[in-house]
Amino acid sequence: MSGQIPLIILNEVYYNYPNRTIALKNISLNVYKGELVGIMGMNGAGKTTLIRTLNGLIRPSNGTVNIEGENIENKSIGVLSKKIGLIFQNPEHQIFSNTVEDEIKFSLNSLNLSQEEINLRTDETLKTFNLEKYRDRSPMNLSGGESKKLAIASIICRDPDILVFDEPTLGQDEKEINFFTKLLNLEREQGKTIIIVTHNIEFAMEYIPRIILMANGRIIADGETKKILTNQFLVKKSSLILPQTHKLKLELNKLGIQCPEDIYSKNEMIKFLTYYLNNKSTKVPDVND
Amino acid sequence: MSLEFLQAFKFQKKKSFVHNLDPRAKLLFSIVYSISGLLFTEIVPLLLLFLTLIPLIFLGKMFREWLRSMKGLSSLILLIIILNTYFLSLSYAVAMIIRILIMITAFSIFFLTVHPNDLALSLISMKIPYEYAFSFSLAFRFVPTIAIEAQNIMDAQQSRGYEMQQSGLINQIKNLFPLLVPLIVSSIKRAFNVAEALESRAFGSIKDRTYYYEINYRIKDWIFTVYLFLILCAAIYVRIQFNIMPEWISWVLPV
Repeated sequence: MSGQIPLIILNEVYYNYPNRTIALKNISLNVYKGELVGIMGMNGAGKTTLIRTLNGLIRPSNGTVNIEGENIENKSIGVLSKKIGLIFQNPEHQIFSNTVEDEIKFSLNSLNLSQEEINLRTDETLKTFNLEKYRDRSPMNLSGGESKKLAIASIICRDPDILVFDEPTLGQDEKEINFFTKLLNLEREQGKTIIIVTHNIEFAMEYIPRIILMANGRIIADGETKKILTNQFLVKKSSLILPQTHKLKLELNKLGIQCPEDIYSKNEMIKFLTYYLNNKSTKVPDVND
Repeated sequence: MSLEFLQAFKFQKKKSFVHNLDPRAKLLFSIVYSISGLLFTEIVPLLLLFLTLIPLIFLGKMFREWLRSMKGLSSLILLIIILNTYFLSLSYAVAMIIRILIMITAFSIFFLTVHPNDLALSLISMKIPYEYAFSFSLAFRFVPTIAIEAQNIMDAQQSRGYEMQQSGLINQIKNLFPLLVPLIVSSIKRAFNVAEALESRAFGSIKDRTYYYEINYRIKDWIFTVYLFLILCAAIYVRIQFNIMPEWISWVLPV
């Protein structure tokens, strides 16, 4: 990313809650256009507080937040919400309309679009999210997974450049997670910048290339996911657990079966084990074949 | 928009004279001060009443919380000034602000210093059935949770372009729906969950239950009660005899 101007710049950001709890301490980071970044850490590490500074819901006690080269200090949440779509953990916090269709339209109404454009975008969004069959149904009656889908849809229909998700995989079954990952790919193809707060270490290993690890309001690591989430010291410090593939690799190494260092995903591990079991050999195969 | 002022109604565990008082005495205190405040529409008697509350704020070691609640209510205070000054007079507006300050401070002192369990016990000692007393204390315990929920709802709606500032009364009422509907729905869901959790732990299965903690009305509570009685008597006397009181008591702002 050298040479490119970061889309999001946080410079020495501090935030204290009214009860004087320090939630963010000296946070400095850059996020570039088109990046997919994960924020991980234990509960209370400051992850949600950090993402709330991005669209002005929380104003830093100290330090600056720049989006697209502009300091957001004096920008309203309304203006920032056009650039940054923040999707909250609990969809129940936003659902209030009589129908699923109205719920999407509510998000579009504040964009000063024509009625035709609103209808068009609503139709497209319902189609993309497979919510067409629920169009006239009350959103209160949707299942947990569908509600979450609707909450995401109601932000994505606004077409913000930056998407920020708070625990998008929480309480989601495999089918729903697969849908979410397809959606992520689709948004990335369109050049969107995506930030995801998650505790789901397997999901992060599989889909997120860069991780920001937080503990006690500070960033304790920022870099390649594979390197950070397989670092036992960092993982322990953030109250996370090592990815299953890495744990298996360590166990196999203890048994004298030398796994190649570059095995990180489940598929790579399956290929390696299949090769090993078929050939009864500790010779390291090329898992990328 | 901040719901920070609700912090003034969240119990804070501290060791102080006010915290050690019996919850019933503190409930009486809130009622006496509210009634006394409602008796007057003049600045001086309300101000005198308010001044008698100040030592209690310090005795209860809650000045910071009280100040924070006042800061949170500043927009309401401003609204009262504007409406009352526009329709009536500035003196009346100031008197109404002091009256609201008295009532909020009195209940704030009560809620900040009474543990929800003690609240239930004090209601039970007044022969209120346990189910009702427990429901009341539970509702009181959920105030901060609902405040956090309301803030989260506001944040979620603002994140998708919702803005409170819209002109016209009907628009402003319509504007509340995106906040109130999710809050009511989630509160009802929570109520059902709590009810199920309570029933699964055999709530209400034994009619005559005993209590681990007991509350006692001690000498200092009686002294405090007498003090409250005197305040109420003085307020009623001044109200009845208002016409023969010295002139300064009906002083108004020279505007």
